[in-house]
Amino acid sequence: MKGIYFDYQSSKPVDPRVVEAMLSYFHDKFGNPSSLHQEGDQATEVLESCREDIAKFVNADKDEIIFTSGATESNNLALIGLALRNKNKGNHVIISEIEHISIHNIAKFLEKNGFEVSRLPVDQYGRISLEKLRSRMTDKTILVSIGYASNEIGTIQPVSEIGNLCREKGVVYHSDAVAAEGLLPIDVKKNNLDLLTLSSNDIYGPKGLGVLYMKKSLRLNTLMIGGGQERGLRSGTENIPAIAGMRKAVKILREEMDSEVKRFAQYRDKLIRGILERIPRSHLNGHPQYRLPNNAHFRFDGIEGESLLLSLKDQGISVSTGSACTSRTLEPSHTLIALGLLHEEAHGSLQLTCGRFNQPGEAEKVIEVLPGVVERLRKLSPLYKEENFI
Amino acid sequence: MKSTQYSEKVLEHFRHPRNVGTLEGENVAVGRVGNPVCGDLMEMYIRVENDIIKDIKFKTFGCGSAIATSSMITELVKGKSLDDALKVTREDVANELEGLPPIKMHCSNLAADALHDAIKNYRNKNKPALAAPKTTEGKKVIAGEVEFENKGVFHKVDDTALFKDKRVIIPERGDKSIEIALELIKLTPRVILSTSSKDLSVNPELKTKLKQSDVKVLYESEILEIRGTTEVEKVLIHDLNEDEQYELFVDAVILLSEACRSKILS
Repeated sequence: MKGIYFDYQSSKPVDPRVVEAMLSYFHDKFGNPSSLHQEGDQATEVLESCREDIAKFVNADKDEIIFTSGATESNNLALIGLALRNKNKGNHVIISEIEHISIHNIAKFLEKNGFEVSRLPVDQYGRISLEKLRSRMTDKTILVSIGYASNEIGTIQPVSEIGNLCREKGVVYHSDAVAAEGLLPIDVKKNNLDLLTLSSNDIYGPKGLGVLYMKKSLRLNTLMIGGGQERGLRSGTENIPAIAGMRKAVKILREEMDSEVKRFAQYRDKLIRGILERIPRSHLNGHPQYRLPNNAHFRFDGIEGESLLLSLKDQGISVSTGSACTSRTLEPSHTLIALGLLHEEAHGSLQLTCGRFNQPGEAEKVIEVLPGVVERLRKLSPLYKEENFI
Repeated sequence: MKSTQYSEKVLEHFRHPRNVGTLEGENVAVGRVGNPVCGDLMEMYIRVENDIIKDIKFKTFGCGSAIATSSMITELVKGKSLDDALKVTREDVANELEGLPPIKMHCSNLAADALHDAIKNYRNKNKPALAAPKTTEGKKVIAGEVEFENKGVFHKVDDTALFKDKRVIIPERGDKSIEIALELIKLTPRVILSTSSKDLSVNPELKTKLKQSDVKVLYESEILEIRGTTEVEKVLIHDLNEDEQYELFVDAVILLSEACRSKILS
């Protein structure tokens, strides 16, 4: 049985055209850009032309792109690199309550190392408030890190307004754009971004490659020490096959993003409408309008996410949940808690994210299967008592 | 081992749980355990005749292993004497299921605890019930109540528009508090009514309206503290049943004066 995959937020298949574009860089064109012979020169040429194409993808300049091993490393370099560089200017960093777990854990690391971190609350739809952000800024604030959009609930932040505010206050603005890339147009100049995190896999490129955009005038402390690649900011031999793959991924998006995003939005809207209509006591998490086109996120009263996930797995449907029972810590998703949900509500959540290889009819299949699954689990649940809802 | 890497036997019990349901009648007792933080909640019903568990049913809110361990334990103890049933350990449950991922071992503990609770309740049945937990809500000023006055803490509602799209929590203080909750739910999807008791002792008509509405009722809970930086951001809730504390993100807290309640009750 061919499965139905609605978990593009967790991992994406590499586009076969990307794989094709990578192949020649494993054996035929294997050079190291640091070498001075012709193989090395060839590699340098490829590296720099990829850098240029990837820069264009977010309207950056070629020398503002740093290749890393992934989004987590980009986030580390951005936050820790900037904080260490500027510790004489100030020691205050602002993040939002619903950042990706890597940002939260980096923030904890900074706290242990003498920095102060404010965690900006969000409203019940997951958006930050500009007034609150302004009121948290002090003359010690050196950095604001607020993601483009939530990787869980898909809520899109007012990036441009945050950028303007940070510019006005002279504070560096970093945004983790991994959840949004390939789904929203990203423009670092228009949005006054100083630092931006991207991942290759999130646009159907290979895993193991990330990008940090760093505005020209900015300086960071390096975290990876070695042979001085990436202008000394990130040592280590460049991963040319992956970089060539990401370039191809960006080129595909240039042609196809508009049309595929329209298709995703149709799947998303079908899922949201169908599920809310057919399942009583179901709720949409996240923002009804400011929402990633591929994200549908629900909660169902009285049932738990892991058992929901296992039941759908039995039907060949792959999804995600914010339930504690699937996490390493047995804690529910910090994002859902930040929305103001109770633990039991956060446990009953279901995340569906669609992508390039979803087929027509798959959303319908989920809408057909899900009501029965929810009903069965509710019959098992002591929290869901029919009489309470009549 | 992945937290969801289950044995075939666990999956089999998850897919086809035995003895799901509830029991009623004279020789029936129920045991309840739960942990609102990890998220599991179990109810175990036993019917006892001549000290033997004649029938057993369960209801469980939880992950796959919580459901499977509940189902497994009902099979293990059905027909056993109460004393023998009390000897069933969490290892027994896990072993019968051909093992559990280490992080999920506590689930088998919960199933055993729910059973033990049911047996204890059966044996205590004729003893006088324990007094309800004492609460102090309404009689004291909640920490943060003064600090956040008009910065998210309200003692009356003059202009409902202020609460549009806000997350509001209202401790139950008589009919008036419920009327306000029902009014505000028209303006925002998130209104929580908290009460320290197990049930609401208010006008039955209002109670019905409340059940039909999207107002979330938080039973056996009281607000210990209101927290924020410059304005209300969250409340610290005490779950009286589980004796646990947790934070809940809100934008507004409506604290009606205790006078409202006494007027209605008198």
